[in-house]
Amino acid sequence: MDSQAVKRTDRWKSRIASELVGILGAGAVISAEDELIAYESDGLTGYRVTPLFVVLPSSAEEVSLVVKLCNREKIPFVPRGAGTGLSGGALPSREGIVISLSRMNRILDVDIPNRVVVVEPGVVNISVTDAVSAEGFYYAPDPSSQIVCTIGGNVAENSGGVHCLKYGVTTNHVLGVEMVLPDGAVVTLGGPTPESLGYDLLSLVVGSEGLLGIVTKVFLRIIKKPQMVKTLFASFERIEDAGASVSAIISSGVIPAGMEIMDNLSINAVETTVGAGYPRDAGAILLVELDGPGAEVSAQVPAVTGILRENGAIEIKLAADESERQLFWKGRKSAFAAMGKISPGYYVQDGVIPRSSLARVLGEIGELGRRYGLRVANVFHAGDGNLHPLVLYDPEVEGESEKAEELSGEILRVCVDVGGSITGEHGVGFDKKRFLPLMFSEQEIDTMNLVRCAFDEEGLCNPGKVFPTPRTCVEPGMQKRGSETAPAKEMGELF
Amino acid sequence: MVSASHVPVSGDTGSDVPEFGFSPEVILYPENIEEISRVLGFASQKGIRVFPFAGGTKLFLGNPVGAVGAALSLKRLGRVLFHEPSDMVSTVECGMEVREFQNAVGRENQLFPVDPPGLNSGATVGGLLSTNLCGPMSTRYGTCRELILGVRAVRADGEIINLGGKVVKNVAGYDIPKLMAGSLGTLCVLVEATFRLYPRQPFSRTLVLGFDSHVSCSRAARAILAADVVPTCFEILDERLSLEFAAAPGAKRSVLLKFDSFEEAVIEQIKQVREITSGDSVSFIEMGDQDSRELWDSAREFPLPSGASFSSKLTLPVTASIEIFSDIESNPALSGVTVRCLSRPARGVALISVSGGGEEAVRAAHSLENLADSLGGRIMFSGVRDELRERIKAWGDFGEALFLMKNIKRRFDPGNILPGEKIFDAD
Repeated sequence: MDSQAVKRTDRWKSRIASELVGILGAGAVISAEDELIAYESDGLTGYRVTPLFVVLPSSAEEVSLVVKLCNREKIPFVPRGAGTGLSGGALPSREGIVISLSRMNRILDVDIPNRVVVVEPGVVNISVTDAVSAEGFYYAPDPSSQIVCTIGGNVAENSGGVHCLKYGVTTNHVLGVEMVLPDGAVVTLGGPTPESLGYDLLSLVVGSEGLLGIVTKVFLRIIKKPQMVKTLFASFERIEDAGASVSAIISSGVIPAGMEIMDNLSINAVETTVGAGYPRDAGAILLVELDGPGAEVSAQVPAVTGILRENGAIEIKLAADESERQLFWKGRKSAFAAMGKISPGYYVQDGVIPRSSLARVLGEIGELGRRYGLRVANVFHAGDGNLHPLVLYDPEVEGESEKAEELSGEILRVCVDVGGSITGEHGVGFDKKRFLPLMFSEQEIDTMNLVRCAFDEEGLCNPGKVFPTPRTCVEPGMQKRGSETAPAKEMGELF
Repeated sequence: MVSASHVPVSGDTGSDVPEFGFSPEVILYPENIEEISRVLGFASQKGIRVFPFAGGTKLFLGNPVGAVGAALSLKRLGRVLFHEPSDMVSTVECGMEVREFQNAVGRENQLFPVDPPGLNSGATVGGLLSTNLCGPMSTRYGTCRELILGVRAVRADGEIINLGGKVVKNVAGYDIPKLMAGSLGTLCVLVEATFRLYPRQPFSRTLVLGFDSHVSCSRAARAILAADVVPTCFEILDERLSLEFAAAPGAKRSVLLKFDSFEEAVIEQIKQVREITSGDSVSFIEMGDQDSRELWDSAREFPLPSGASFSSKLTLPVTASIEIFSDIESNPALSGVTVRCLSRPARGVALISVSGGGEEAVRAAHSLENLADSLGGRIMFSGVRDELRERIKAWGDFGEALFLMKNIKRRFDPGNILPGEKIFDAD
């Protein structure tokens, strides 16, 4: 959505289309307006831009050739996975090209002894686990969209999921990438080894939201399936007690695989739609999943049950079998969709707070909802303080969607005020770039730009995202060494 | 700039000044980040190169440093600034000793689970983060890279920056705190770091398994990796270290394991290891915390202290880090030197020290470099004897990442105020 996009002539467009077809073949270049519509937005449909072209390369070499063409012609380009992102990270650039990785969807290698799976970026998240499940392994990051979202998008967003409290997020499970840099060069960072040496460039690439290049191959770490999994369900009269339970469980030495809280509004939305068996009158429910060696989990279950009881749980249930466990989770996993049944519109927010601030923040979110006259449902990854407030509104009511968006922004301010973050897993993208200055000073954002410039001096790769204002690489925040000189001991004389 | 008390006169720098390998004109002891900012602002204007240090226990890492005007000590920045037990997050100044930091969070029954070499001899949080060195506990908890949430640092031009945050999940902006892990102070001066902590576990046991052949050890190691056990530490020692650490004297290989959890869970995991390795191991010793302390100290400190010609760290695929022992034994280029090897298979890391002959040591180093390369890994050399330094460089091949690393360095520090030669050979 960069406003200063160059307007191209039809003749130019026709020439570029021919070149793209020459590189990729006719079936891999989309230019018809009715077909481009599907690529106008990602999962955040409030923002839409029609790209010039969408291309569907099948190899790193093809990606590289397209990127080199973009460089020669100064065409901005946007990488895209499954388009499930919720921050507008894959929003096309005006007069730009969308490079969809959906055809690069092969699992290239499964190496069980070394615990590595090598995939192309268009592989769907759950497919990795499917490929190794029979061997007793799985891929840990499990965003709620895991049956459709792709590994390339997960790498771009550093995706999390409900089990990242114990197992970490995508950055903890990516050992290496092959990527096409913004100038078209193909490089490999990291590889099949758990550790690397030198600057940790891989950690910059994971979570870079497609601004540092296009990942064309990913080395993923897989882990052994836990011997035992037990899921506890607890209901509380007050959501604060559910929050206190979370802190008490972790303080006791137990790190559950996941801990999820839903408030009363969410519970009722879920019950109305999927009937997970949650008590409608509860102030909140808490799901605690424990996994690991059987003896460890068996020892943890009574310990956690005791903590839940001490913190005022009204009802505590241990899933008796896998089907009951799935039922417990069914409600949580359906929570977002359920909102669509009880409200014509809803806005999903993604903020992070320190666990210790939970009661205060929930109170402030409630107060904001009252002030704006809108309902806010709370569903969150409680163990890591990752909130997903859902602001409900009616798009048919004039001004209400704007109010919902404003309220969502206010929630982020509350998160930052208590020492948290504006995003835990959805990314900054296009939607939240205006909030980045809540967390970082100009100098700090300039420092991030130093990283971007080290990879992409031309700024053609996914422009208009993350950074709140356009930044070039011509005027870096850093100055070259000053022209004055002095012996170091003068430093002492000056003190 | 900084008060006079922060600049000891020449010859009166105290006993805590390490052997830099170069002679700074001045050593500065700032006591807050603003002073560091002013020092670097001045230095970048005047073209004075500044070498940050704290404990000085890891100066042997990386290439030798050229001429430096000022050495900048972080020793006066040694406080815990923030610790919220219920969040399991703590912010600490980088001059604090790691052991002190661990003791501080330990009072709340929490754990900063990194055990680098030098832990008991002054290793600091800043040095730990700059080097990304770790010890046996990295098997379960990873390195600093996995634990760092945020940094407060001073750029080479003197700007103070806060990056990352104080929450365990945060994807706002590039993950620059992780970039700082292992950057050897070449990008910024790290002043404060915020880490994720873990709960202390109530019960702990160590196992030492002895093996009479590489084949049986390899089979057992793979079985342990595949088992439903979660060791905190998992190391394989060669014959020499098995003897020198008094782990399993006489054994061809030994495996060290440590489990931390509830008592019943630890006992069950030990039982399981015993069952799956019973056909392979020839000895099995179980130890409590007190009895195993010396053993773990040895494993943590290896390859230091060392009279070796050089030490090396190889990052390898998991199975290659198990088989590395036989690769070494069958390598004729390593036959003229004394090799010691410790492997950390879950991390794919092998630590190798080489003692003996000048020319043979050089040949051994090049052979190990080729070996790492052929196994799909990388190598780093350290503690290289002075007379061999010209021929054994600190870093193996960085591959295609090198030019990007140089781009990063050039963007962060175009004047090379913070000595980049620690990592990059002079062009």
